[in-house]
Amino acid sequence: MASELSGRAAIVGLGYSKLERRSPRPLAHFAREAAEAAVADAGLTIDDIDGLGTIPNIAAYGNTGDLEGIDIVTVPNMVRMLGREHGIRWHVQTPGLCPDTIMAAAAAVASGACTYALVWRAVNVPKGRYSDFSMAQARGEHQFRAPYGFTMPAAWQSVALRKYMHDHGSTREDMAAFVVQNRENTQLNPKAYWCGTPLTVEDYLEAPMVADPFCLYDCDIPVDGCVAVLLASAERARDLRQPPAYITGYAQTTWPTRGGFTDSENMWEGGAALGEKLWASAGMGPDDIDVAMLYDGFSIFLYVWLEALGFVGRGEAASYIASGATALDGELPLNTSGCSLGEGRLHGMAQISEAVLQVTGRAGARQIEGAAHTVATVGAGTLASGGLIFSREARA
Amino acid sequence: MSGGDAAVTKPVPVPDELTAPFWEAANRGVLAIQHCTACERYVHPPEAVCPDCQASELTFREVSGRARLYTHTIVRDNVTQGFAEDEPYVIGIIELVEQERLVLVANVVGVAPEDVRIGMPLRVTFERLTDEIALPQFTPDEGD
Repeated sequence: MASELSGRAAIVGLGYSKLERRSPRPLAHFAREAAEAAVADAGLTIDDIDGLGTIPNIAAYGNTGDLEGIDIVTVPNMVRMLGREHGIRWHVQTPGLCPDTIMAAAAAVASGACTYALVWRAVNVPKGRYSDFSMAQARGEHQFRAPYGFTMPAAWQSVALRKYMHDHGSTREDMAAFVVQNRENTQLNPKAYWCGTPLTVEDYLEAPMVADPFCLYDCDIPVDGCVAVLLASAERARDLRQPPAYITGYAQTTWPTRGGFTDSENMWEGGAALGEKLWASAGMGPDDIDVAMLYDGFSIFLYVWLEALGFVGRGEAASYIASGATALDGELPLNTSGCSLGEGRLHGMAQISEAVLQVTGRAGARQIEGAAHTVATVGAGTLASGGLIFSREARA
Repeated sequence: MSGGDAAVTKPVPVPDELTAPFWEAANRGVLAIQHCTACERYVHPPEAVCPDCQASELTFREVSGRARLYTHTIVRDNVTQGFAEDEPYVIGIIELVEQERLVLVANVVGVAPEDVRIGMPLRVTFERLTDEIALPQFTPDEGD
């Protein structure tokens, strides 16, 4: 029995800014570029937009800047840039990750709180070194990590890969198989940052170690950029320019990251709890999915999501990927656009956008024929993670 | 401890209402972990309410300081202030013998990074940062 919200809202427009690194342009310009592109994609005008939602967080951890229009682009800023002070009937800002915001917007357009809701995520490459932690005092959750030099997300997640390799006998060659396959997919995605830059197994294995066993290519590529999506009710979606990507399943997790990514089992447990809610909300299971866009802010998350959502059993993800099952011509094409590792660090919007493009037949050279249901997950499985299922038909 | 620019120190923990007993004990050279009176499970980092049974009476109990290495990373490209001269250094996820998956973060010291292994026995030692703060660290436990 699917949720009452299943099939009642759709993504009807998608817009990208250019993806750059260390651009002199303010982030606000990227956000407006993506917003206008999403509205135009749907065949609408800015004056049609009466709902706005975003994730107002800065892109990185540590004490990087939070200047409006440079490091973040909030709802009030977007309202001014679009000149819609009198037209916005509904808005929301959800700290965390984009599925929270998209779920809120889906509920808003399905209920009639607004008609067309624009959701964007703007991220930048912070000044200085990425994820710099330069605080002399470690307060709150930092006090049990920062004094040990454990402040970098790559380090937090690398402990999970080491434990996985130990527990399940996988190797860095196994991970190379995924990262190289992902980079091949990226070559079919002209908007991706790494499009035009192939990667070999040797490149991966010889890359500099960041937090061993994580090398440079286990981490996504930080970019300056913005992705925006436009939502409408299922009724309105039918009359717009693009085929709708109906939201037929959704889930959020409240699973805590106890100890701050110290016990990596939390990610599998949280991901599995999310998966149960996700499949139940759509009345579907893993076998119904034609293409999967699973979060890859760090490579280990692929193993987490493949196993936690039930696509494969615990400890089987590495060998499943190595078998070719997740290639474009495999049984479960995975991250067909290159997503975070290949397209850019867009905090999950790369997953959302590719899941939309695939299910609406708009994925170009990497299109999977007949994709009727796609899934996108964002996050580490624990707190702030979310998942969405998109379908070609709205289903009853 | 390890050197570096005198103006750039490693981040120093700031105890708060929940964590003060942990740091007071560490300052005396004792590892004390929060413990739930109702379900008798340990909790770390400290919480206001027991995450296992939702009881609110939590006290601190001295533990043995013996542990095994749950997993670890070797940091070679550091972004934490004060650590540049320590590279490469090992961050261990330390599983205390008192309870399965009772883990805390510490550096694994007194062993070359390439010799660190998941499952290796460890024991607590303390690194003094300031007059008020000593950091629990872990070093290979050669046995008794």
